[in-house]
Amino acid sequence: MAATDPSVVVHDVHVRYRTFGGKRNALRPPDENGLSRLLGRATEHVGAVTEIHAVRGVSFVAHEGESIGIIGRNGSGKSTLLRAVAGLIPTASGEVYAKGNVALLGVNAALMSSLSGTRNVTLGCLAQGMTRRQAKAVYEEIVELAGIGEFIQLPMKAYSSGMAARLRFAISSATTPDVLIIDEALATGDAEFRIRSAERVEEIRAEAGTVLIVSHSLSSVTSMCSRAIWIEEGTVRADGDPEEVGAMYTEFVAQRRGRKGGS
Amino acid sequence: MTPGPPDSETPASAAEAAALAHRFGLTRVDLVPTFRDYLRQLWTRRSFIAELAVANAYSRNQNNYLGQLWATLNPLMLAGSYFLIFGLLLKTSRGVDNFIAFLTIGIFIFSFIAASVTAGAKSMTSNQNLIRAIRFPRAALPISVALSEILTLLPALGVLLVVLPFTGEPVRADWLLLPPAVVLLFAFCAGAGMLAARLVSASRDMLNLIPVSVRLLRYVSGVFFSITAYAGHGWISLVLQYQPVSVYLNLVRSLMLAEDKQDPLLWLFAVVWAAVFLIVGSLTFWRAEHRYGRD
Repeated sequence: MAATDPSVVVHDVHVRYRTFGGKRNALRPPDENGLSRLLGRATEHVGAVTEIHAVRGVSFVAHEGESIGIIGRNGSGKSTLLRAVAGLIPTASGEVYAKGNVALLGVNAALMSSLSGTRNVTLGCLAQGMTRRQAKAVYEEIVELAGIGEFIQLPMKAYSSGMAARLRFAISSATTPDVLIIDEALATGDAEFRIRSAERVEEIRAEAGTVLIVSHSLSSVTSMCSRAIWIEEGTVRADGDPEEVGAMYTEFVAQRRGRKGGS
Repeated sequence: MTPGPPDSETPASAAEAAALAHRFGLTRVDLVPTFRDYLRQLWTRRSFIAELAVANAYSRNQNNYLGQLWATLNPLMLAGSYFLIFGLLLKTSRGVDNFIAFLTIGIFIFSFIAASVTAGAKSMTSNQNLIRAIRFPRAALPISVALSEILTLLPALGVLLVVLPFTGEPVRADWLLLPPAVVLLFAFCAGAGMLAARLVSASRDMLNLIPVSVRLLRYVSGVFFSITAYAGHGWISLVLQYQPVSVYLNLVRSLMLAEDKQDPLLWLFAVVWAAVFLIVGSLTFWRAEHRYGRD
């Protein structure tokens, strides 16, 4: 497999992030001791910051020309891992190396909802480091790909969720990066948009060196990817051929189901 | 559950990873760039900063029928109400000849400073969508916020220049010095905004201290009284007069009002404060670059 040069090197990466709100010690099991339970009750409304250890020591090497599917259950840390690879979330420890520029392509790339689609397109392009001239040049292409017609002049808060997702996808796919990260982008939108976005991803994939795809859909991973990495509870469970890794993952999910059904 | 075939190249140690990366020309993604590189990245994003500022200033007034007219109507109404209260009803002067103009300028400039520092402090949390989607130097956000407030201040200053002659102020050449003063004001606010954003990202509880500090500053900066008329000429008065916020208030006043003498010291302090805040603000903000977006 490792015939080409590596384009992403990830070594023992840990990611923790904090979330505010909820209650103090929200994720900790309740105390057995009566006194500390009482104290916990009294202080649970103060310092309600929960630290989530989402990625716990992941290492892998990706090569040019590879497309790797990241599979795993909800909350297994796969999106967080890829955000760390894209440099959007700081790592707690470990190292991430990449060749050239890394871009995250996702429908969650919400920009400014009070601004018009046109403004969002320009802002998105400029934030990605384009010059004004470049942004102007790709504008038509983005609007064409989003295919939302006259709504492009209205503020994004007036959009349906599908329309907003299409526009965001179109904006984030405007650049052709060296390493492309796709976060469950292909599941939204109607059938027509799904075909169009798949085509666009294919184009980028041909030009970009490496593609990392987060997906719940095993079938899209086995059809699009040359390799799969299964993430469970923030660690790599398996890494290799998509068919094999997919089979292990399916078996794991089925086992969990069976255990739950039995009790 | 047997683990899959491990990639033979998967680095076993940090040194191995570094060597592999070095051999194939890969660079660290998760490190903060050097300060020079950071400034360079910021410079390449200058159109982004400007566009975001314009978009924010625009969208603020776009959610009603009169839209952008409010950018000038608001300050006009504000000035009108001060005239009503202090010119017609109370007739206080508090040691200032043209008190209405003195007060209006004070309030416009102070609200600008307060708004840009407050919004700058919130710029990391309120733009989380942008931070989580696209990688760019985060200092672009507080800077853009300050610029956006400048865009709101400009129509207000325009209104002032139109209204001033009606309060008995002569049209003077000093007004031409307003643009450099506004540039210094922007530099100061961008720096203060970066500092505030850094503080809030260190601990969100700081957000609760900002309204209190703004109120405190309002009372010690001579927004609605002349510091020299009240605090006399002791060293406390000197500190109060040359702390950054009063420096900018008095600088703009000295340019717009005939009774305020031009004070070269004010210009000196305006330049020094702008430079200090911009440098200290960007340095402290940059040092925590890798922490933004963690929450």
